Amino acid sequence: MSRLGAAFTTALVIVVGIMTVLGLAVGEGLGNLSFIVQTQGLPVITDLFLQVVVITIASTIIIGIINLLSVHVSRITQRKGGWVYSVILVVSALAVIVITLLERAGILTGRPSLSAILLETVQVSIESALAGLVLFALVYGAFRLMRRRVTWWAMLFTLILIILLLGALPLPAVNGLASIRNWLLAVPVSAGARGILLGIALATVVAGVRILIGQDRSYRE
Amino acid sequence: MSTEQIGLWAGFVLTLMIFSYMLGDNFLYRIAVYVFVGLTAGFITVVTVESLLLPWINGTLLAANTDIGTRAVGLVPFILGALLLLKASPRLGRLGNIAIAFIIGVGTAVALVGAITGTLLPLIATTSSGVRVDVVNGFLIFLGVSSTLIYFWYLGRRTPIGEVHRGLAARVVGVVGQGFIVVALGAIYAGAILTSLTIFSERISFILARITGG
Repeated sequence: MSRLGAAFTTALVIVVGIMTVLGLAVGEGLGNLSFIVQTQGLPVITDLFLQVVVITIASTIIIGIINLLSVHVSRITQRKGGWVYSVILVVSALAVIVITLLERAGILTGRPSLSAILLETVQVSIESALAGLVLFALVYGAFRLMRRRVTWWAMLFTLILIILLLGALPLPAVNGLASIRNWLLAVPVSAGARGILLGIALATVVAGVRILIGQDRSYRE
Repeated sequence: MSTEQIGLWAGFVLTLMIFSYMLGDNFLYRIAVYVFVGLTAGFITVVTVESLLLPWINGTLLAANTDIGTRAVGLVPFILGALLLLKASPRLGRLGNIAIAFIIGVGTAVALVGAITGTLLPLIATTSSGVRVDVVNGFLIFLGVSSTLIYFWYLGRRTPIGEVHRGLAARVVGVVGQGFIVVALGAIYAGAILTSLTIFSERISFILARITGG
């Protein structure tokens, strides 16, 4: 029974995957293949598949958030360590949900809406502050790179970093660096980034083809 | 004081609480982070329900003058979601594989088509056409792209004692590729520093504006 189930799972991945690939990739001008894809309604089926997956993932997100809240509610009821933080988390989450519900019900009618104020002034402030803190971690990381072990690659990395940072300064004294910076960004950085992106894309294609031909079945575990 | 002013002062206090992390991990920082996680969970719930789940339910399950097939299709994602929940059960966990298989099948197809049409074909086209526009820089870009790809090429010959040897040419070109990767990563790092510096200075100006009443 388990082998039959495993075979069914693999067959489902292959059938759904190939139908979706055909529906997404095959357009006009591919002769019989285009004719078959259009007459069998594969683009419509692919569109439905995509919507079903999006809604499934959306429902799992809601399940995840319910799980997050239930974990913190149990921490509060059992008075586990850090339960005060759990109170803050649960109250913050419920506040947003309740405020939005009251706004949709027409009970809270202020302009701008309270949920928009929460998002734009509180949420965005915390996000920006956390992103600003990353600056210190990045600078300290660059400092540690040269302090731990000096290698040719570390020196090249630091040199590029310094040139690009100094070249970004709007000062007449570093105009020369600015032109070097522009060339670096246009040629070697562009080449390296393209190489990395192509490597990722090729790896995605290989992994995708392995799944679609049933060679990679690790999702059954 | 208006609601908006209260929100701005709350943002000011929470920003200071986050920046208190520079003195070390402390309860003020943790409070701000838990507020952040709670608000994020709340907003994600609202957006997911309002933008995805409700339109789907209204368009399928609760739609007026619709056939039974559409209503059945409307139930499918929720059945798949329920099957995913069964993955936690040792006895019924295998049923969750059906939902996983469906998501993996569609996800793989989207990733495959996206990688080919969105990354591979455009990058190959721009890299090869660049040589015609500017010979020297175009050739350097071509060299960088190909050497970077060769650096990632992990094929080699295994010797009888178990060691893996790559050919001399592949190793030399791979070193050039490694150089291009280091330069690209250095540029990405510099970009990240500049971005976070910009955000940090915006936060500092926000704090000063709150204090001075600007």
